[in-house]
Amino acid sequence: MIRTADLRKTYTMGGQTIHALDGVSLDIPDGQFVAVIGASGSGKSTLMNMLGGLDSPDSGSVEINGQNIAGLGQKTLARFRNETLGFVFQSFQLMPRQTAVANVALPLSYRRPKPADANERAAAVLGAVGLGDRLTNKPTQLSGGQQQRVAIARALVGDPKLLLADEPTGALDSQTSDDIMELLVRLGREGLTIVLITHDLEVAEYAQRIITMRDGQILEDRMNEKAVAA
Amino acid sequence: MTLLRLAFSSLMERKLRSLLTMLGIIIGVASVFAMLAIGNGAKKSILENFDELSTRTVSLRPLWTGRRSSQSRPYRRFDEADLKELAALPDVELVSGTLGREETAVVPGADWATSITGADENHLYTEGMEMAGGRNLTPEDLEFGRTVAVVGSAAASRLFGQSYPVGQTISIRKVPFEVVGLVAEKEGEISWGGDENDFILIPRTTARNRLFGNDWLVRNQIDNIRVVARDQGAVANLQNNIDYLLRRRRGLSAADAPDFAARNFAAMQQSRAESGRIFTVLLASMGVISLVVGGVGVMNIMLVSVTERTREIGLRMSIGARRSDILRQFLVEAVVLCGLGGAIGLAVGYGASQFAEKASVQNGEALFKTVTDVPTALIAFGSAVLIGVVFGYLPARRASRLNPVEALRHE
Ligand SMILES: Nc1ncnc2c1ncn2[C@@H]1O[C@H](COP(=O)(O)OP(=O)(O)OP(=O)(O)O)[C@@H](O)[C@H]1O
Ligand SMILES: [Mg+2]
Repeated sequence: MIRTADLRKTYTMGGQTIHALDGVSLDIPDGQFVAVIGASGSGKSTLMNMLGGLDSPDSGSVEINGQNIAGLGQKTLARFRNETLGFVFQSFQLMPRQTAVANVALPLSYRRPKPADANERAAAVLGAVGLGDRLTNKPTQLSGGQQQRVAIARALVGDPKLLLADEPTGALDSQTSDDIMELLVRLGREGLTIVLITHDLEVAEYAQRIITMRDGQILEDRMNEKAVAA
Repeated sequence: MTLLRLAFSSLMERKLRSLLTMLGIIIGVASVFAMLAIGNGAKKSILENFDELSTRTVSLRPLWTGRRSSQSRPYRRFDEADLKELAALPDVELVSGTLGREETAVVPGADWATSITGADENHLYTEGMEMAGGRNLTPEDLEFGRTVAVVGSAAASRLFGQSYPVGQTISIRKVPFEVVGLVAEKEGEISWGGDENDFILIPRTTARNRLFGNDWLVRNQIDNIRVVARDQGAVANLQNNIDYLLRRRRGLSAADAPDFAARNFAAMQQSRAESGRIFTVLLASMGVISLVVGGVGVMNIMLVSVTERTREIGLRMSIGARRSDILRQFLVEAVVLCGLGGAIGLAVGYGASQFAEKASVQNGEALFKTVTDVPTALIAFGSAVLIGVVFGYLPARRASRLNPVEALRHE
């Protein structure tokens, strides 16, 4: 369960004040697949960074499972990200010289206590995203879609409650995008809460709920009947 | 463990750069190691030249005072009372006093100019010598001023040839002395231009009363005194006590220039050998400078590395790395870099010091003797690791302070 209350964040650049987030209040129940859309600069990424505890709001609160993460210390936040969250980025952010398994196992190296079967778990998750036969490939030996699958596997390996994806299909062609989205839909059905950021309406249609942002505010918040029914 | 592996792999990704960065560390560690090896070698060879006894012997002699000879007062000699008080100092094993001159010893059919030393029963011990036959001087010989003599092996063979000297008579300045003992020949380098075994010992009192006369200024004079400490550790303290005692007896304040010298030759030689070698100093400064320059190089490369890997750092933070994890990652990387450099430097330094030893051989003896042992290696290697920690800290700290959002967005 995610709840934000009146989230605000302003940046001042060259004397000009930008309201990246201008009073965002939002409830996302467990297991929901939410897409956030909006024009460039509307504050989508800023919102996601707040939800992930990577950035802190000027005012307002972010509650995840009843805990206000805006007030957490650096160590507790790191642990929260490690145990509760999974991030997927537009640019994959894989370690270029490490194998798929090593990339996927990376979050487990920061888990305390460190699991002994990290590589086995990484391999299993890679299998689940359809890359069981690419375990020892390096990112440069994988296609863009495969790299994003590796990144998704990395986000999933720690058994997160919430997956935060910022333009995960932004660097992919439409066919590969559809594959990735189907993978996310499947994960959503298995009970994972997903917040997906995109500016692609077609991609957003995979989500159960679509939130539209403009100028740091929520412009529209609607359920997507097609996806809910499916 | 994983941290080490991580550090290794990230350094291997940039082999050439890592190697170049390590160069300063390599040279630094090699110099430090070679310096220590050569310095220790010099120290050891000094210790080998000086036997255990000389390391705990303090030699006393009077000094001339005054800067110019016109102002200088005749030195004040030691006397029997000095000797007695010195013997009573703590940690003193024994003392011995001598006064001597070159005189001609005469036996029927031969004569030989040799050093006639007025001594006591402890003198042979302080010389590290032993009796070969007959007996040593005794306290009674001194007390009664007996005309007895103990001869060194070289003097004996000059005077008596092959025949056994004990029981025979020697005349010195027409005073007949009965030879009561023969000193065993001391193996050793021929030093100070004379044969160590060429001497005749007679009781100190006899020397004064019958041969050399009593000093009109200082009665019962003694030329040189040796004080032997119980162990080497007590020498420094003993030297202080001797200084204090003699100043008191001579009415000198602590500020006055002393008119006597109290020296431990082994220690003096050793410290001179350690600090005096320009070569050692040169190596030491080269080592330190290279290490610092190397450290700055490491810092520079680590800062570059942090910038290059900003996105990696952002990603690691997003998947749950703490600041301390990031700090440790980069610190370990810097330390591994320096440690590798240190290991290579050790090998180079070992090679260089072996080479110096081999190349400096003259007349079968190496000019630079080296001692390469584990503590030396540890010191040299440890300094590299320390450099890694010191100069790696700033870049590592910078990495750990990055803002994850900005780091992820970094191009
Ligand atoms: N660190 C920053 N400093 C100054 N301004 C910032 C900073 N981060 C974001 N902004 C501004 O805040 C606003 C919202 O940015 P944000 O990245 O959330 O937009 P977005 O909706 O994700 O856009 P896009 O679709 O292009 O990714 C933008 O106007 C941006 O310029
Ligand atoms: Mg964005």
